[in-house]
Amino acid sequence: MAEEADFKCLRCGHRFKAPYSPKDEPQERACPQCGSNSVRRIKEKAKGK
Amino acid sequence: MTDVGRHPRIELLTLSEVVDVQGYIGNFRIKVLRKARYVDEKECTACSDCLEVCPVTKPNEFDLGLSTRKAIYQPFPQAVPSAFVLNLEDCLGNNPIACGKCAEACDLKCIDYDMQDKEVEFRVGTVIVATGMDVYDPTELDEFGYTRFENVITSLEFERLINSGGPTEGHLIRPTDWQLPKRVAFIQCIGSRSEKRGNPYCSNICCMNTVKDSLLIKDHWPEVEIKVFYMDIRAFGKGFEDLYKRSKAAGVMYIRGIPGDIREDPEAKNLILLSEDRNEGKVVEHEVDMVILSVGLVPNSDSPIIRQLLTLSQTSDGFFMEAHPKLLPVDAPTKGVFFAGCAEAPKDIKDSVTQASAAASRANILMSAGKITIEAITSHIDEELCKACGICARVCPYHAIEFDKEKKLPARVIEASCHGCGACAAECTFGAITMRHFTDQQIISQIESALGENPQDKVVVFACNWCSYAGGDFAGISRLQYPPSVRIIRTMCSGRVDEKFVLHAFKLGAPIVLVSGCHFADCHYISANRWTQKRVEKLWDKLEKKGVRPERLQLEWISAAEGLKFAKVMKEMEELRKGVTMEEIEYTQKEL
Amino acid sequence: MEIERAETEELRIGVFVCYCGLNISGTVDCEAVAEYARGLKDVVVVNTNRYTCSEPGQQTIKDHIKEHNLNRVVVASCTPLMHEPTFRAACQEVGLNPYLLEMVNLREHCSWVHMHEPEKATEKAKDMVKMGVSRARYLQPQIEKEVSVDKSALVIGGGIAGIQASLDLANAGYQVYLVEKKPSIGGTMAQIDKTFPTMDCSI
Ligand code: SF4
Ligand code: SF4
Ligand code: SF4
Ligand SMILES: [Zn+2]
Repeated sequence: MAEEADFKCLRCGHRFKAPYSPKDEPQERACPQCGSNSVRRIKEKAKGK
Repeated sequence: MTDVGRHPRIELLTLSEVVDVQGYIGNFRIKVLRKARYVDEKECTACSDCLEVCPVTKPNEFDLGLSTRKAIYQPFPQAVPSAFVLNLEDCLGNNPIACGKCAEACDLKCIDYDMQDKEVEFRVGTVIVATGMDVYDPTELDEFGYTRFENVITSLEFERLINSGGPTEGHLIRPTDWQLPKRVAFIQCIGSRSEKRGNPYCSNICCMNTVKDSLLIKDHWPEVEIKVFYMDIRAFGKGFEDLYKRSKAAGVMYIRGIPGDIREDPEAKNLILLSEDRNEGKVVEHEVDMVILSVGLVPNSDSPIIRQLLTLSQTSDGFFMEAHPKLLPVDAPTKGVFFAGCAEAPKDIKDSVTQASAAASRANILMSAGKITIEAITSHIDEELCKACGICARVCPYHAIEFDKEKKLPARVIEASCHGCGACAAECTFGAITMRHFTDQQIISQIESALGENPQDKVVVFACNWCSYAGGDFAGISRLQYPPSVRIIRTMCSGRVDEKFVLHAFKLGAPIVLVSGCHFADCHYISANRWTQKRVEKLWDKLEKKGVRPERLQLEWISAAEGLKFAKVMKEMEELRKGVTMEEIEYTQKEL
Repeated sequence: MEIERAETEELRIGVFVCYCGLNISGTVDCEAVAEYARGLKDVVVVNTNRYTCSEPGQQTIKDHIKEHNLNRVVVASCTPLMHEPTFRAACQEVGLNPYLLEMVNLREHCSWVHMHEPEKATEKAKDMVKMGVSRARYLQPQIEKEVSVDKSALVIGGGIAGIQASLDLANAGYQVYLVEKKPSIGGTMAQIDKTFPTMDCSI
């Protein structure tokens, strides 16, 4: 199964999951809700908090 | 082909490989390793006297092993140069005591077992990469039984079988009994258009190749029953649809759906294809005498070497990447290098020839001018400040920075190769790199002026020259209205936007900073904007650590055609700006 | 953060504010912007013009460069993607390095997108001119270097594409080195007898 990660849109605040692997080439991401490219990956340790 | 051998201005170096490339556009220094042929290319008249005496028999590579050759041989009858070649590994010994029969037989005395590999050096102004492709090896697709069942062959092997110059002199036979097969099946898309095995892309030529092959059979042996199993038939070129119709009219059966399995009748050596009948929803068996796997094309196995020598890149399919997929389709990202043929993507002969002429013409433009002006907007490394960390060399999409890991000498920019994106300058943490015409000073002074009065009312926008800045122009041309709070700073590439520019803007009281550039696929500097994204991601972490809301730094990819998106984003920036309080700004100014 | 500032010669900046007919002046108060520019550091002359890109408009720039001994030029008009080459050429004609020109995009990035807010647009235009002038301060002359191009080509690969490219280039008069790994040129194409769509021989 493809690896996934949590993302957060810094424009509209929407949170979502998307395929992600640290091995991947960087890729263009857009928020599925507002279309913004200000999409930030929420890293593991931040999630625990 | 023979024209090449005869042409006074073409020096043909066969059995040769490029081993080193130095220099840059207009001035490449090339080193080629010429392997020994052991036969004097100029003297040999291809008389065949040596063939008759050679005691060695080997499979003939040109016929894909369907026929044999000697240790000394001519690759194929129309070969250029026509001279024979001696394969020393097959030869009984480069020692006349062991054999030496051919040297004896040769009247012209052109066989020399002691010939050495040679290195040749020359200078050129331009380079054309025409390294072609390889054919997909279907062995891994076990269900089709290639190599397990003798009567399953590839389309390229079929080409040799049906070739009048081939091992059977053009008689269609099947491998097990050398009889004319009465029933033949073609299976399409072998190694193509599959996410799981082989390759995801369409190999472009296989549909039409099968249509052609089916007609070749029908023209000579109309009684042969032909079934073609396919996903889609892609017959989009000039004259292609006509050929497809002719094939159907000749009685070739086109059956949608790729068989899931092939079994062999162990005695008759016939093959039974299991395929699903989509209408009836049941599995149907097709018995045939021979199966031809219509194999796809894959990148040439030498591509990685060439890629390294010429500092090229590859697209996700493994073929070479163009400087721009639509506007510079035959130019390589390295200036002065061009692509011809399948090196860039699978294509048929007509397209290969077209692209080759285009590449030659692009090279001609450079050479007929005899000189070119190089970009004034380039980077410059201050040797005193450089700490030889090598980051700049790693980020440069054009490999325009020379850096030797071992020697630890300051990095050096090859100006003729630099395209001026500025990614290196933004990444160098020691401030050793100056971007001409987009210096730190110039950009910082713009930020300072923009935020000189009432910074809390302004949004600082970094826009790349090619896409987002032009997208802003397009919004203007379309008279799309947006709030007047934005202050746009142009850079050539978003990759130029240094961390310190962003932090400086926040320090001066900017409520919102937007970094914008081209969509990934449109980046005018191949991949420089990947570094933009990485840098912004790092900055988000950094801001968060300092207690500054990462939301205040925004990122957007806007193309030159997206005036609408530009205006929409500017409105969103204004909304975000309104949400930033004076306390927040003051806190940020203190913290950073 | 301290940014090092280079010592420069005495700066003499000229600012040229364009009306573009009514395209800019219909929204932005160009005279007010010009007045503002006069107060900026190192600006020695400011001029407004109906159409700066027209022949007389360019002549005005050239005359001012000579008359006021300008060493930086700021044209506040339209997008540099359109007229930067025009104004660079004008500078060059009177001996000013073309990279000492800075353009401020008042039309596409201001007047056309804030048509209903003339006052705010004028304020923004002032800011933009100020940004342009401060950037212009740090502009340096740049030289577009020339490198020679050797009249010879390397073709790697002797298949159909390599053969075609070699012949084209050799026939155009260039020396061509055609490098092929195998003992003969011809590539995959030579293995094929008849080719689509014309069903003729490939060699
Ligand atoms: S990134 Fe800077 S310090 Fe590192 S090698 Fe390049 S120029 Fe030198
Ligand atoms: S400016 Fe861009 S192209 Fe030039 S050396 Fe730096 S990274 Fe490479
Ligand atoms: S320079 Fe630009 S803004 Fe001025 S008149 Fe010409 S097109 Fe219009
Ligand atoms: Zn969103």
